[in-house]
Amino acid sequence: MIQFQHVFKSYGQGANILADINFSITPGEFVFVSGPSGAGKSTLLKLIGGLEAPTRGSIIVKGQRMDQIGNRARPYLRRAVGVILQNMHLLYDRTAFENVMLPLAVIGLNSDKAAARARAAIEKVGLSGKEKLNPIALSGGEQQRLAIARAIVNKPAILIADEPTANLDQASAQKILEVFRDFNRVGVTTLIASHDLELLRRHANRTLLIEPGRFKDLGTHA
Amino acid sequence: MKTWIRHHFYAMRIAIRRLLATPFSSLTNIAVIALVLALPLLASSILVSMEPVARNVSVNPAITLFMKAQVPLAETRELGEQLQQENQAYIEKLEVIDKNDALAGLRASESWSNALKVLPRNPLPNSIVVTIKATGDQASKAQELAQTWSSLPNVDTVQFDSAWVQKLDAILSFTRGVLLLLAIGVAVVVVGTVFNTVRMQALVQREEIAVARLVGATESFVRRPFLYLGALTGMAAGVLSLLLTTFGLASLNGAIARLSQSYGTDFVIRLPDVTWLATAIVLVMIVAALAAQWSMTRHSRF
Repeated sequence: MIQFQHVFKSYGQGANILADINFSITPGEFVFVSGPSGAGKSTLLKLIGGLEAPTRGSIIVKGQRMDQIGNRARPYLRRAVGVILQNMHLLYDRTAFENVMLPLAVIGLNSDKAAARARAAIEKVGLSGKEKLNPIALSGGEQQRLAIARAIVNKPAILIADEPTANLDQASAQKILEVFRDFNRVGVTTLIASHDLELLRRHANRTLLIEPGRFKDLGTHA
Repeated sequence: MKTWIRHHFYAMRIAIRRLLATPFSSLTNIAVIALVLALPLLASSILVSMEPVARNVSVNPAITLFMKAQVPLAETRELGEQLQQENQAYIEKLEVIDKNDALAGLRASESWSNALKVLPRNPLPNSIVVTIKATGDQASKAQELAQTWSSLPNVDTVQFDSAWVQKLDAILSFTRGVLLLLAIGVAVVVVGTVFNTVRMQALVQREEIAVARLVGATESFVRRPFLYLGALTGMAAGVLSLLLTTFGLASLNGAIARLSQSYGTDFVIRLPDVTWLATAIVLVMIVAALAAQWSMTRHSRF
């Protein structure tokens, strides 16, 4: 599903943020990407989501080499990857419902089907009844769930989230992780970047550890 | 196809929403473009209103040969035939006018009938009116023929009477040139205003553009609402300029009508026909959409 082969990433003339990264993730896996702040977790997720290009090496997502995809085809691959970035990127001049409708407008789904699918996504993340609210009126945890709803509404094969539990209390973080688990149970390959070691300890999952100058696949641990 | 149509409806909805979200700024832009558009529209109105006047009075030079008083109609006709044969290449129409018919025509006119009553006999001579073909150099050719014919023995006077019409034609040509320059000026203003509006919008909508790209939007999807924004601004400005020109002409035409009535005509300035106006508005919309496209290409790379 996802394959990194000798991937390097640097910005400008700076040092490599990621150096010689090799791993592969099979369909339906639930993987944590861990490491301290600034180690390159977000960069790794952005590479998978096609939001950044590697400096060297090849990345294969859903059987397609990212570096060989033209600019015109790249958006179509992005639709197969649901992305939740650290700052969520919600649109605060629209309602929660309209935020979730955006990916459906992008694929040109008819309004009835789109509305039904958006409602279903909102229900899945537990935000029913809050469709008409502006995201600013939602709590941090609810905003995170709204971002998840928007990421999964197009039924992506891969779901990646960057620090989705940061700034949330333990109960809210637990609920968010449960939402990801639910999607993973139905076959969505899920990658979550987190520096919260306590969270990783509580969840027995495969973990990729990124530290400055070091990358290690820790495998699945209990 | 359905997806394509839905994308366009979505883009139009977003564009309208963005226009309405900043009503004062949108109206200012529309008003600026409309005021600039009103100038060529007014010039076009004057042009289309003047053209029929120029058409009704032949633009081609007409030469009138007034025969000597004693020359009879038969000899005048003979001369007419001779001139026609000798100058077939230049003459479009030749008409021999009987002095009695000319007098009858004058008597029919109320302002002349009283004056003619006091004359003991017909003071008018027979005459020949020659219209010269439009060949490009008809003015100089007419001048040359008028000079030659004035030395004919039976001809008393030659009148070359269409110089003022040629001047009018020259004025209309000049107005067309001015109109072209105004149109270019309008295009520059439309491009500048829409370019800047879209640049500002692209900056304001930066987050939305980023999110759309994040969820797999193509560049066409991202740019389309801005193209509609440009086109809608152009359309609104076109309609507003039409209204402004209509109101402007309504007040101007009152004064023009009074003036033209004093000359016995009913000349008014009217707007060009609907097809012309629709084409002009569509052209403004296209120019505005292209300006938006240009602006987006330059300002959405983030």
